[in-house]
Amino acid sequence: MAGLALLAALFPLDHLGGYIHWGWVDISYANAIVVALMVIVFVAALLAPFPGHGRRKESR
Amino acid sequence: MKRFRPDVDAPEYHGPYAPYDIIKEGTIAFLVVAILVVALATLFGSPDEQAVTIRTWSNADPIDFATTALGELNGTTITAHYGAPYNHGSLGQELGPLHLANLVGVTIPVNPIQDFIIAPLSSVPNDHPLRVALAQWHAAPRAERATWVARYTRAAAHMTWSNGHIVVPATRTGPLGVMINSLTQMARSGALDQALVTGHGFYTTDYTKPLLFVADGTYFANLAKHQHLLGAQWGMMNETDSYPGQAWLWLYTFWYQVPPFSSSPNADVQVWAIMMLASLLLLLVPFIPGLRSIPRKVRVYRVIWREHYRSL
Repeated sequence: MAGLALLAALFPLDHLGGYIHWGWVDISYANAIVVALMVIVFVAALLAPFPGHGRRKESR
Repeated sequence: MKRFRPDVDAPEYHGPYAPYDIIKEGTIAFLVVAILVVALATLFGSPDEQAVTIRTWSNADPIDFATTALGELNGTTITAHYGAPYNHGSLGQELGPLHLANLVGVTIPVNPIQDFIIAPLSSVPNDHPLRVALAQWHAAPRAERATWVARYTRAAAHMTWSNGHIVVPATRTGPLGVMINSLTQMARSGALDQALVTGHGFYTTDYTKPLLFVADGTYFANLAKHQHLLGAQWGMMNETDSYPGQAWLWLYTFWYQVPPFSSSPNADVQVWAIMMLASLLLLLVPFIPGLRSIPRKVRVYRVIWREHYRSL
């Protein structure tokens, strides 16, 4: 059991979560965070420079 | 020479080329995702909700179980009225003139009285009072059975759970008292779960009947409501407890929240049709004038390849 306890989550989420109510929109905080992270990753993918771009040698 | 058509013709590329190692990128992506999965699982764990069985239901709320069993005998439950593919209880949801489920027909026959009540009770060994009760049920004409059920149902509002038994203040209900009590005892022991999944071949993985029976009660729906999983609660994109769910299903469940679908008895088939239409539009984007021009006109590609366009 002690070994299993080591495998337990550090911040367990097995308790009821909160929800954002806005008109007929009803979204859990967890989903809202994931959506926000996806938007951030999308914007970063658009704006971040390609890795190693400056080192690439162009060739034809 | 043929005129160049934007969105249809690909212009010839005259710019520089650079070597690219896709295996390296794939390996890095795999490693990053694997590390993220292990790290997030260590930090937050994962949903591990116990399965709801007829046993857990009948032990948690024996009155709801007995009331649902009575509903099966009355033919008033969701399963009894479902229609195809389970029975002929209704024509099912309609899309204009089409009853789509009904077109397929009854492919998984479920008779709630026989499958949920009589057949499981008949499998109980060494129970003389139950054997007598079932014999009385089988021997009675249909009208008499209906009278017993109607009398029992009228008194069911005062149903109580006392000393491990369902108690209903009703008389002249034939074998119903014994049958409902025996079924409740069977459910609480776990034997009913077993009786409803066996008999379908070598592998007993067909949970259709116990799932339908559980869904007919209010216990399961109340659990779902508590966990914010009902259709009217955007439940399709939610997970149990505080875990993030299937956020990408937002568009599918969105339709259920707005009129006329939010109050339509045919919402499932209507939303399905809208999503199939939307999927078809997405699939055919390259062939739809106007829609296929959006990426070119929005010019997001110029942000991604900004260095290239700056050098032009």
